[in-house]
Amino acid sequence: MKRIITLVVNGEQREVAVEPDLTLLEVLREDLGLTGTKKACNQGECGACTVLLDGKPVSSCLVLAVRAHGKAVVTVEGLAENGRLHPLQEAFVTYGAVQCGFCTPGVLLVAKALLDTNPHPTAQEIEQAIAGNICRCTGYVKIIEAITAVAQNQNI
Amino acid sequence: MTGYSVVGKGLPRIDGPEKVTGKAIFTVDVDLPGMLYGKILRSPHPHAKILNINTEAAERLPGVKAVLTGHDVADVRYAFVDTPRYPADEQPLAVDKVRYIGDEVAVVAAVSEAIAEEALSLIKVEYEILPAVFTPEEAIRPDAPLLHESQFTGTSAWEEWGAAKRVKDYRSESSLNNLSGRTFVAFGDVEQGFREADHVREDKFQTAATAHCAMEPHGAVASYEPVTGKLHLWLSTMGIFLKRYNLSRALKLPISRVRVRHSYVGGAFGGKIDVFPYEFCAAYLSMKLGRPVKIELDREEVFTTTRQRHPITIHIKTGVKKDGTIVAQDVKVIADNGGYRGSGPIVVFLCHGFSFPVYKVPNYRYEGLAVYTNNPIRGPQRGHGAPQIRYAIDSQLDLIARDLGLDPVAVLLKNIRHKGDVLPNGDRLNSCGLQECIEGTAAGINWSSKRWQFAAAQPLGRFRRGVGISLCAMFSGAMYYPFASAAMVKLHDDGSATLYTGTQEMGQGSYTTLAQVLAEELGIGLEDVRVVAGDTELTPVDLGSFLSGGALVTGNAVKLAAADARRQLLECAAEILGVGMEQLATRGKKVFVREDPQRSISFAQAIQASVFKRNGNPIIGTGSYKGYPETNRYPSLAKGKGLFTSAYGFAAQAAEVEVDTVTGRVRLLNAVTYHDCGFPLNKTIVEGQVQGCVSMGAGQALSEEIVLEKGQLFNPSFLTYRLPLAPDTPESLDKTANTLEPNGPFGAKEVGEGSVAGMLGAVANAVHDAIGVRINSLPITPEKVLRALEQKQKAVR
Repeated sequence: MKRIITLVVNGEQREVAVEPDLTLLEVLREDLGLTGTKKACNQGECGACTVLLDGKPVSSCLVLAVRAHGKAVVTVEGLAENGRLHPLQEAFVTYGAVQCGFCTPGVLLVAKALLDTNPHPTAQEIEQAIAGNICRCTGYVKIIEAITAVAQNQNI
Repeated sequence: MTGYSVVGKGLPRIDGPEKVTGKAIFTVDVDLPGMLYGKILRSPHPHAKILNINTEAAERLPGVKAVLTGHDVADVRYAFVDTPRYPADEQPLAVDKVRYIGDEVAVVAAVSEAIAEEALSLIKVEYEILPAVFTPEEAIRPDAPLLHESQFTGTSAWEEWGAAKRVKDYRSESSLNNLSGRTFVAFGDVEQGFREADHVREDKFQTAATAHCAMEPHGAVASYEPVTGKLHLWLSTMGIFLKRYNLSRALKLPISRVRVRHSYVGGAFGGKIDVFPYEFCAAYLSMKLGRPVKIELDREEVFTTTRQRHPITIHIKTGVKKDGTIVAQDVKVIADNGGYRGSGPIVVFLCHGFSFPVYKVPNYRYEGLAVYTNNPIRGPQRGHGAPQIRYAIDSQLDLIARDLGLDPVAVLLKNIRHKGDVLPNGDRLNSCGLQECIEGTAAGINWSSKRWQFAAAQPLGRFRRGVGISLCAMFSGAMYYPFASAAMVKLHDDGSATLYTGTQEMGQGSYTTLAQVLAEELGIGLEDVRVVAGDTELTPVDLGSFLSGGALVTGNAVKLAAADARRQLLECAAEILGVGMEQLATRGKKVFVREDPQRSISFAQAIQASVFKRNGNPIIGTGSYKGYPETNRYPSLAKGKGLFTSAYGFAAQAAEVEVDTVTGRVRLLNAVTYHDCGFPLNKTIVEGQVQGCVSMGAGQALSEEIVLEKGQLFNPSFLTYRLPLAPDTPESLDKTANTLEPNGPFGAKEVGEGSVAGMLGAVANAVHDAIGVRINSLPITPEKVLRALEQKQKAVR
């Protein structure tokens, strides 16, 4: 039996009819067409599907859509405002923190959640924050550099 | 240093903005109206006969549109290796036998993934279980069960590409069972060499099967238009033209009726070049049903069925003079390629190909065997043979240096090849920065102060540190279909350009570096270049993004195309300015007369004039490039003859580790890499490639391992297959050697693969330096470290 749920996705209210076993990841990708959120392992082990749920990073493949009813969701599509890249997005491009780009949306949202709560993290805190995001391309070096640059408000 | 304005700079990737905003479309993001979903039924047995398959119940399930089994496509054969000697041994769906756990048995297309999944559970397969083999050593025995009783006798792909017909079955050359490939190479007199040696050492090393772990799971979307007979494909691929060739052949469609369309690839690392059954099935089902079909593999399927790195046993006997000069080397490798040939014959060829460019070995014998077992299939993975062979050879050289009381760095320097050397197959090293790489790396890791080998006694205590070093070599493209790359450059009225290239962007940055090559050659900025790529219909042919040929082969094609466009632009400008072309120069998107710079026109004006004054003739430059023009000198996998590549990339890598002697855990503290990639076309992208390689190499040295028990994969998930995470990131120093490759565009050559290979030996040698014991197999897990320490203590007592 489908249920109607309401989500505030990237600031806009959306109503979706969902089966009770549907995940938030599936609703975002398949019902709302927000394919920026990636499905890489579908078992909560890689961080590629990370979105912010009421400001906190979650693996959207592990969240049932019905549990997100009434909550605010931020996906990678919601980071840029009026066509202006978020400083983290800007830094990821400038510092070469993006290669294949498949893990990037998840890492960006984890980094945003980190800086929202801890604007000036140490390198170690950054590494710990993104420890649940697997990136096979970069060896993490430039991802850490990019997040550090934003935290230090460097000119990007 | 070079006077270039676009190449060499660490400019931001042009695909960056799309990727950070979530707009970049990957194959798994493609969604077409009326699309069906496919799911594959796989073998639960490592080796079994298929007696019967009953699909009736599955076909009756509402929402199921088609069910296919092997009998529907029994005549289809394809494989990554498909030569007269090694004809294709794969079929999209098993016909009479399954050969590994995960082998494809049936496929369902349905209106949803859930229904397709349910339908799989309704298919009844009767198997007769056969005896199975799980190690190459078992598999080659005379009493071992045969995995492939017969060889395919049809025409191979390489015969279509012009290779001579097969003369005899390679299996008649050997009495070993289940052999899937053999390479034998010898030069000098190896026995005489050992007699002349002052010190001879024999060792055995073992590497592990590892997973690529590209974050994008493999997927395919196929959409066949019945009216026009055209098949559109979105694929997880590294080479769109090779995929098009193989799929058009398997599907019996004219090559022009198959179009691979652009999608970004979320990492590949070698694991997305083979043709996979899910790709064939998606296309076949779409053709049968006239609707789009998508098949997306789940992570367990990716781990199990989309290839792994070959686990290889390597025996090496090396003879040296007192000063460490190598006089003879006898290498035997045996690789487990799983239930199908995969890239078995290639990896045992490449273990030679990536070993002999590094050291001068006057007397040498190499034998490589690839063997079928009932394990998952092994294929190309970043470095493809280099990590295994470099780990073994440089581990042994480290041991030899210790035996002789020599500094390993000095031993490396004594034996390496140099610029100008001609390799035994005829390849010439037109650039070789090995010496600079070794010296830079040793300095970067503080070799002489950190190497415990030189200290009177190792410190006691729980945490012990050590350093190690290793080298590697890699091709810059090699001879494989389509053997060459072409490119097109179209100029626009505003003085900008569009590049048409068949390269596939999978994270390596090819769009950006190729656009830089174009911009530099033509004399415009990177922001003036747009790239159309990854589409077999829109772009000219391309070698593909494998064998590390992107920078050199595709790069040269782009440079030639840009030069052609520039020549036409100058021709047009010369006409307008009324001077000879040789009197013209360009700067800032302007063409001017060298002697009288006031007389000038902008690129835009010249391009517009070309359209206006030349009957609409726009300026389109074309260029094409082949690694080696001598078509009769393709490398022989079996004999290692012929030319391999027009440029070798090299690297030296050093590692500093800290070993916890209580837990056995090894931490990589520092990693230093000097990569000789010739001229780095984009500094940031080059660093990114090296850092990715270092991470992958470190993971494969310390923790990554596919765990199999009687052919069953025990760790098909990121929780149980341990690859490096952010907190594992070492301090790293990533530099490039100051060389220029004359065959490369602006002097560029390989950078994307080699540096994975040196890390394994560097880490293994560093662990030995730290704890004084050698661990001869990878990965170097805490269990192995503790066992080694225990044995060392026993030996002391």
